[in-house]
Amino acid sequence: MGIFKKLGWFFKAEKKRYIWGLIFLLLADLAGLIPPRVIGILADKMGNKQLTLSLLAEWLVLLAMAAIIQYLSRFGWRTMIWGGAATLEREMRSRLFAFFLKMDATFFQKHRTGDLMAHATNDLNAIQNVAGAGILTLADSILTGSTTIIAMLIFVDWRLTLMAILPMPLLAIMARVLGRHLHTAFGESQAAFSRLNDKTQESISGIKVIKTFGQEDEDVADFDKIVDKTITINKKVYRIDSLFDPAISIIIGLTYVITIIYGGTLVVNQTITVGQLISFIAYIGALVWPMFAIGRLFNVIERGNASYDRVNELLSEKSQAVAPKVDSAPVVSGDLDYQIDRFSYPDDPRPALQQIHFKLRQGQTLGLVGRVGAGKTTIMKLLLREFDHYQGQITIGGQDIRDVPAASVLGAIGYVPQDNFLFSTTVRDNIRFAAMDQDQDAVEHAAAQSAIHDDILHFSQQYETLVGEKGVSLSGGQKQRLAISRALMVLPEILILDDALSAVDAKTEETILENLKHDRQNKTTIIAAHRLSSVMNADEILVIDNGQITERGNHQELLQRAGWYAEMWAKQQVESQLGGEQHDAE
Amino acid sequence: MTQNKEKKTKQQSDHQEPTDVTTSTSENQSVWAQSIPMKEQGQIIKRMLKFTLPFKWLFIIAILSATALSLLNVFLPRILQEFMDKYLTPSRGTTRVILGFAALYFLGVLLKAVLQFVSNYLYSVGSEKALESVRRALFSKLHTLGMRYFDLTPAGSIVSRVTNDTMSLMDFLQFFASILTGLLGIITAYFAMAALNGTGALVVLAFLPILLVAIWYYARYSSRVYRRMRERLSELNVKLNESIEGIGVIQEFRQEHRIGQEFEQTNGEYLATRKAMIHTNSLLLSSLINLLYALALTAVLAYFGLLSEHVFVEAGVIYAFTTYVQNFFNPISDMMDSLSFMQDGVVAGKRIFRILDDSTIAPQQHPDASGEITAGKIEFRHVSFAYDGEHKVLNDISFIAEPGQTIGIVGHTGSGKSSIINIMMRFYEFYEGQILIDGKDIKDYPMTELRRKMGLVLQDSFMFYGDVASNIRLFNQDITDRQIEEAAEFVQADRFINKLSRGYHARVIEGGTQFSSGERQLISFARTVVTDPKILVLDEATANIDTETESMIQEGLRRLRRGRTTIAIAHRLSTIKDAEQIIVLDAGRIVEHGTHDQLLAQKGRYYQLYQLQHGVDATAEPTA
Ligand SMILES: Nc1ncnc2c1ncn2[C@@H]1O[C@H](COP(=O)(O)OP(=O)(O)OP(=O)(O)O)[C@@H](O)[C@H]1O
Ligand SMILES: Nc1ncnc2c1ncn2[C@@H]1O[C@H](COP(=O)(O)OP(=O)(O)OP(=O)(O)O)[C@@H](O)[C@H]1O
Ligand SMILES: [Mg+2]
Ligand SMILES: [Mg+2]
Repeated sequence: MGIFKKLGWFFKAEKKRYIWGLIFLLLADLAGLIPPRVIGILADKMGNKQLTLSLLAEWLVLLAMAAIIQYLSRFGWRTMIWGGAATLEREMRSRLFAFFLKMDATFFQKHRTGDLMAHATNDLNAIQNVAGAGILTLADSILTGSTTIIAMLIFVDWRLTLMAILPMPLLAIMARVLGRHLHTAFGESQAAFSRLNDKTQESISGIKVIKTFGQEDEDVADFDKIVDKTITINKKVYRIDSLFDPAISIIIGLTYVITIIYGGTLVVNQTITVGQLISFIAYIGALVWPMFAIGRLFNVIERGNASYDRVNELLSEKSQAVAPKVDSAPVVSGDLDYQIDRFSYPDDPRPALQQIHFKLRQGQTLGLVGRVGAGKTTIMKLLLREFDHYQGQITIGGQDIRDVPAASVLGAIGYVPQDNFLFSTTVRDNIRFAAMDQDQDAVEHAAAQSAIHDDILHFSQQYETLVGEKGVSLSGGQKQRLAISRALMVLPEILILDDALSAVDAKTEETILENLKHDRQNKTTIIAAHRLSSVMNADEILVIDNGQITERGNHQELLQRAGWYAEMWAKQQVESQLGGEQHDAE
Repeated sequence: MTQNKEKKTKQQSDHQEPTDVTTSTSENQSVWAQSIPMKEQGQIIKRMLKFTLPFKWLFIIAILSATALSLLNVFLPRILQEFMDKYLTPSRGTTRVILGFAALYFLGVLLKAVLQFVSNYLYSVGSEKALESVRRALFSKLHTLGMRYFDLTPAGSIVSRVTNDTMSLMDFLQFFASILTGLLGIITAYFAMAALNGTGALVVLAFLPILLVAIWYYARYSSRVYRRMRERLSELNVKLNESIEGIGVIQEFRQEHRIGQEFEQTNGEYLATRKAMIHTNSLLLSSLINLLYALALTAVLAYFGLLSEHVFVEAGVIYAFTTYVQNFFNPISDMMDSLSFMQDGVVAGKRIFRILDDSTIAPQQHPDASGEITAGKIEFRHVSFAYDGEHKVLNDISFIAEPGQTIGIVGHTGSGKSSIINIMMRFYEFYEGQILIDGKDIKDYPMTELRRKMGLVLQDSFMFYGDVASNIRLFNQDITDRQIEEAAEFVQADRFINKLSRGYHARVIEGGTQFSSGERQLISFARTVVTDPKILVLDEATANIDTETESMIQEGLRRLRRGRTTIAIAHRLSTIKDAEQIIVLDAGRIVEHGTHDQLLAQKGRYYQLYQLQHGVDATAEPTA
């Protein structure tokens, strides 16, 4: 029953709806009392041959009216209560979505997509059921159950009634024991559903890899294993769930047995009449339904409860980002001062960055190069406020970026991630993703700057072309350049290109870099790249290795140092001459 | 499957306005707005029921127990009646008799409990198994579909069909349980009525046509509402899925507000459709039956009232007859409510069968294909290809790669390089031209042979949830730990793997986000290297890798190149410097073809590309 309390906020908010729903329910129940009475009266009248046509007509009109009232009030409570359930679902879905939108990278590393989706589908369904079927069963069984017991007390015999409801506490015990087991079992079952969702999600996303390695059968076998496990877990749910009805049958059976023994004795002792015993038994019959309803209620409640706990556990997670000192601040701008002494990823003792210090005046370009896994992307992530728990500080225009809301930092940045992500909409909407109010001219300008405008004109529907999920229908270089236009579209103070030219050819790369140089005279740019030609014109180039700066300077200076940079430069030179012989860089 | 149908109706009814689920948004909207024709609904139901066949014994035993249960339910009150009529009324009840009846009754209750458990449990387990077998069928079907299908269908929608849509099958089977038990009740109630008063029974029967019209109307109308509802829900879930996957981009560009609002709008629309459905259900389902019942009752009473003008009607007859009328309508009302499950099931079923019947199947090999790749010669003969069957992205491609050779493919982005790989790997079917391997049509090799002998490193690396070793090995248990380490060393991935606290057993989370992009590419490279393919295909396999690491990998590849044909796509010309042949692609055509020196001598596009890489260099520093 705890779930009703947990959902108290909702019932409070939807008070009116539920009060009306219950009133309609009561009305329907009351109207339901009329037909049996009318039947009784008419039957008696007919039996006594006292029925006149006008009398018959009167009673029939009453009957028809009761029918219509019942119909209307049924319609009323159904729309009210089921509508409440639907509203709850919408509300919970909104909350989840809003919550996802504000969570940080750590959260999404911890939870898999399939699992999050399961929360938003399967669990929400179980929760909304509480506000519909749950409320209804509860109200209905209490209503019917208590009126019946009162009728038994008043009309038959209080001693017999007390004796007969003696087994009822068993109901509470059963509900507790089975309910607890059911709760655990439902929790496991919902987790199993999450796993199934995760597995399916992964197989679909990785379908190309699975095909490449011809592992279709193995993947199906793996899925089958997960399904087998799900069946085992769900069987447990059904085992417990199927125990409710028999347990209730036995409890009611005990009531009957007591009635037979005690009631029989009372009749034999002539304390009550046989007639009274008969109506007593009829009353017990009326108790049967509410009791079974309670059994079903537990199914709904425990399922909803387990799901609510799961969803709440998720919702209670906190974003790691440091709370800013001010609620809102203008978008930062100015020189970038990057002073990081040490940073390590959560749950990873090794430092990912150490002693990264550099200053970048407004309008300058920084190049980041280094081996795979050196820490180039990490440097950018800190600037993007993905992680805040580093030693040192980053300031832009003198403003510590941790002291302002993430939005005012991000507002200054246009980021092209290394793994670009496109949305399954049109080319146009992907480009103006962050500037929906911009017109076609602006879109085309951004596209032209990233040298994709001509490609787009060749697409079947040009700017209206749908790119498919994650941009599947585009080539690697096309995706990358769309991501660049998307970043350029916001006219960022700081443009960050994270290996964003890796999938374009030399010619295109040159065009884009030229365009940037021309259009972004006074704006800052940070470029990470493996192809050194991308960074050679930067004002400063940092060579990163193992999270530390090993070399720094501009292109010329670095070549003179004859270190890693010079060596790589030579390699790329030599190799692009395709001569094969090894030269020295100098 | 329990008794006490009297009021269960109320419970079972609209409760779960079914949630979940998703559609292919590629679906034409107007199609979704249509209702499903009756005949098709029947076929869908029949096909769905087929999934229960393998578990028929579970269902049969469950249904038999349920039948026994209803008999017992008739019998138990008789014990009480017997007790009261024979012993209490004549005051003959001794303690022994009373206890005897109590014991007998309790025995009956125990039996009832057992039957209840058996029927409930077996029916649920049977439904669960049927449901899971639908999931299995769907999942394996998905693996037979071609890449084109996945290009066009959002992942969120597919996942939802496998996991959520199948869920409604459970309720759908419950619908059959209620039909079975309900029909029994209706028929017995009708015969009881007819035996009592034939004309009265006919009066009740007169309400049947109204009922049928209501059912017909509901089935037609609601399939439309349900479809609209599911379509909305589908949209919601696809949006949700995409937003979770693209959360980084959304946050970096501060679009939370806009995306949130868009979501809210769809969420609101979904609520509205759902409310429309609740209205329909409230108007047409058990409430309507209840109304019909009350009206039938009125009619019956009118009939008896008029009859009593002429003949004597006993009160008992009225009681009995009206009870039968109630018994007649109760199961109908029960069944009517399950109609919503049926509708939901039918709509979900249609979506499920759309996948099961989808013919975008993966390219097929010839039925008697049995070739074996030994040398690794590849030949393209006038191959043309279009993803959508209309706009050609490859045009008359012809080239020959001799065994052991390395072929480099270069060209402007979007020129069709990856597409060549896509059809050679048989991800997409091509209809013009021919691809030959070792002189034999590629379709004459069984798919497993192609997969075993051809290794591809994809342009986008994908990581599986698990650990590093399992990401290299995938499901192939024949690969030893030693081989995995060797492959990792080969691609220079050992350097960072060994630094991980758990080495090869380090956990890999979804998307492998705790690795740098280059590290991910190295792992996926190792995944291919470990299979030691006869034909190695590299699609920008080192685009995210630094030159130092790249040249070490190339060094390794050069050592192992004997007996291996390599096709390498790269923008960095340095990557393909060892190629015996270079193909220059432009807008889907081969524009130049030859060795590096030949191409340079031609002074064509390749020369331009080369000059460009040089031009960039030249502006900087006249090295070497
Ligand atoms: N799955 C697909 N469905 C439809 N069109 C596609 C699909 N994949 C690629 N295309 C289109 O086919 C053309 C060729 O793409 P392809 O991926 O072969 O280019 P590419 O030469 O590999 O380019 P890049 O160097 O940028 O990777 C592009 O215009 C692209 O938009
Ligand atoms: N979320 C994370 N949790 C733990 N470790 C991480 C995480 N992200 C990256 N790392 C590790 O930090 C190191 C630096 O990664 P980073 O992505 O900055 O490299 P990079 O220089 O961008 O490499 P690449 O050239 O491959 O893109 C790598 O060793 C990587 O494994
Ligand atoms: Mg990186
Ligand atoms: Mg490509």
